[in-house]
Amino acid sequence: MRPLLALRVSESDQKHGIADPLNPGKSGQTLHGSPKPLRWLSRKTSQMDSRPRPTGLRKGFLQNRMTQSHLILADQVRTLIGRCPKPENLLDAPEPPPADWEAVALNLFALQYETVPAYRLLCNARGRRPEEVRSWLEIPAVPTQAFQELEFTAIEPEARTRVFHSSGTTAQRPSRHFHHAESLALYEESLRPWFAAHLLASEAAFPQGLRPRCLALTPQPANAPHSSLVHMLEVVIQDFGGTGSGFTGRVGGDGAWELDLEATLEALESACANGIPTLVLGTAFLFVHLFDALSAQGRSFRLPAGSRVMETGGYKGRSRSLPRAELHAAIAQQLGDPKIIPEYGMSELSSQAYESGGRFQFPPWVRVRTIHPETGLDTAEGEPGILRIHDLANVWSVAALETTDLGRRHGQSFELLGRAAEAEPRGCSRMTL
Amino acid sequence: MNLHQLFLADLGPELQLTAETLRQASFAVRRNRNEWLLQQRTRAVIEMIAHTADQWLEPGNQFRILALRDGPQETGWSPATLARGLDTFFRSITVESLEALVAQDLGDARRLDDFGAGSAEHRTGRTSLAVGPELLVHLTAGNLPNPALFSIILGLITRSAQIVKCPRDASLLPRLFAHSLAATESKIGACLELVTWSHDEWNARELEDTLFSEAACVTATGSDTMLAEVRPRIPSRTRFIGYGHRMSFGLITKESLSPYSRKRLVRAMADDITAWNQLGCLSPHAYYIEEEASGSAETLAAELADELERREATEPRGTIGLAESALIQSRRSTFALRAAAMASLTERNLNRSLFFDPPATVRLWASTESTAWTVVLNHDARFQPSCLHRFIELKPVRQWSEVLRFAEPFRHLVSTVAVAAPDDRLPDIARQLAHWGVSRICPIGRMQEPPAAWRHDGRPALGDLVTWTDLET
Repeated sequence: MRPLLALRVSESDQKHGIADPLNPGKSGQTLHGSPKPLRWLSRKTSQMDSRPRPTGLRKGFLQNRMTQSHLILADQVRTLIGRCPKPENLLDAPEPPPADWEAVALNLFALQYETVPAYRLLCNARGRRPEEVRSWLEIPAVPTQAFQELEFTAIEPEARTRVFHSSGTTAQRPSRHFHHAESLALYEESLRPWFAAHLLASEAAFPQGLRPRCLALTPQPANAPHSSLVHMLEVVIQDFGGTGSGFTGRVGGDGAWELDLEATLEALESACANGIPTLVLGTAFLFVHLFDALSAQGRSFRLPAGSRVMETGGYKGRSRSLPRAELHAAIAQQLGDPKIIPEYGMSELSSQAYESGGRFQFPPWVRVRTIHPETGLDTAEGEPGILRIHDLANVWSVAALETTDLGRRHGQSFELLGRAAEAEPRGCSRMTL
Repeated sequence: MNLHQLFLADLGPELQLTAETLRQASFAVRRNRNEWLLQQRTRAVIEMIAHTADQWLEPGNQFRILALRDGPQETGWSPATLARGLDTFFRSITVESLEALVAQDLGDARRLDDFGAGSAEHRTGRTSLAVGPELLVHLTAGNLPNPALFSIILGLITRSAQIVKCPRDASLLPRLFAHSLAATESKIGACLELVTWSHDEWNARELEDTLFSEAACVTATGSDTMLAEVRPRIPSRTRFIGYGHRMSFGLITKESLSPYSRKRLVRAMADDITAWNQLGCLSPHAYYIEEEASGSAETLAAELADELERREATEPRGTIGLAESALIQSRRSTFALRAAAMASLTERNLNRSLFFDPPATVRLWASTESTAWTVVLNHDARFQPSCLHRFIELKPVRQWSEVLRFAEPFRHLVSTVAVAAPDDRLPDIARQLAHWGVSRICPIGRMQEPPAAWRHDGRPALGDLVTWTDLET
């Protein structure tokens, strides 16, 4: 059992307003630095010794947004990220989730319940309060589409420096995931090791010191400030990209992304010419635009050996949509058979999954469940269900998310069966030719 | 009992259709039509159809038994829902209703048999004969069977040879109907062919183009994207009739909310919602409630929820696909969250600024541990397509005329509006709806029961199939 919350509050501190008044229901901090709701208060007079324990409370600590607790939890998540196993081991035999994962998940839940008012509302409506939740499986998940309506964030309005939107069409209300420097830092720490594990893992292709050329088909960060994907690619290019790396997309007149065809072809040409392995990164519809342009000109490229393509799903009606196999065949044919690594991510998350061997896998600080929509219960392994993703790197928003995507879970990896959100809107259903 | 193999579609997915097979089939049905069907009188054809429809209403009818045995698995409808849908359809197919259809669309029940003249033709010294297309091709949709069945009936009345292309997963009911016609008169079966393939088969496009080049007239039912894709591929000499996506809704005036009429109203609404589980173009996506005293719509919603729960016992919705079920669950959780937020807003004065745009008041009633039915009372009156399968929104408005503004973005898609209104208000409401673009107005509870003479999407369904030959004397 974890230590009970123990607080040192002297009466004079309370009287002088140095500490907050204590009431059951408020949260405090355990000896291990985790937040925990106060159940009851008792009074005991003791002599101070030279090593005061447990922790003292500063003014403001118990106020509703508990900044410090977030930092503490972020550090706990960092510890998990820091233990991210080496890619070689990981891809062959996925490790069981770390033993302390659940403890962090429960701590984070208590904190988010306390500090994200919209989440508290949802948990109360479902009758799930932190004191009643014993297992991570009982933590209520927020439907991703609720991010379109409510602020699921613990970051005060004046502290928000960045917001990521879902990439819906402009007419729809986008999802909003707010960030500030701390949360972005954790986001970046979360993305790096897993990206490297999947896109850079091969000593042969990327010997020590050789940085691949990274070509992102998306617009530049300055032109797409609300895209979590573009931010991710910016971090990737900064941290991993070699000379000639950059963005070759742009924002079209209607606000939709498109390729700067000239720049893209030039970049591909130069990549092929100098022989350094290249990472081409983009969304499925941008690849379709590229292939349509290439076939119209009767051209194709042969990317240098060791090159890779990261394709992230989703068409959103911005191009004709190709079945995955066809898209991958087109990539193979027109870019010279690079290794293709599909990515699964969304603006509401702080971590990404990558596919290998037909199955997506999130890093070990993320856990995945599949829920049967009729019963609301977990489906058996290998049975299809709605994907529910528990991302501990989402410290300042909500960790437990219910997507609209369908998948089949196998251990901690999953097959993606379709993105239900794209089915909307529709009239009479099942109208097929 | 199983069906014997009479049509190409009976052979199942093992049959690899080729363009050559289709051409031979077109030739055969056209020849049989010219030799036999064309020589039949309208009355005789109608009697055969009506007799077949009548047979379907018999509990012991072998085709009905097969439909109720195998249908639920192919379509997902429960046997009760399927039985009710088929009964409603076949009850509407009678000698009288079909003769009325011919008379309405062509002026007289014998216009397909002999040269004749209406009064206007008399005055101009002409007689004329309505002629059906030699080969009529139907591309049918899979959402519900009646449009496909009715297309076959129309083609028989016009004495056309017909080829019906069904979606791979929705061929059972059209096949059973075709078999039942052939059981009534085997020569009908010889003038009719049913084929099926899925659009991702390698030669799907070639097969379609073969059909288009053989046909004199093509009808297609499906999404607007599908119609836009098909239309330019039809040869210019071939007529094309496309029926796109349509949506429908209900409108309930304040006078119809009295406790006395409410009981019947709730049952009628449940009839519309459970009929084919809302999957047809004529099924309601929402009901607009003219609310004078606040709370009357809420009472109605609660009673409708109770009624849907009762229906679930007698006429269950049946199983649906995982994606559909996930969509219902996702819509439900959005509404549940809004409802919870609203509840806490009034109870504890929660900060409204939690929401980006504070939502309208919402209440949700839903089946437990299933997605079988969902009733949402939503004060946001903007029309939103339902996710169907017994998911209905009730939207209170102050005056009915606001409805047209809220539904404006979907104006071009609206087919039917079911109206509950007192007699003195109905004519005015109907006129305004007509000018707004609604093609069918019916009482609540009858949305999925259009009469045989129904003008499909506002056009004469039979009249659009024929061409006229004028004889000037």
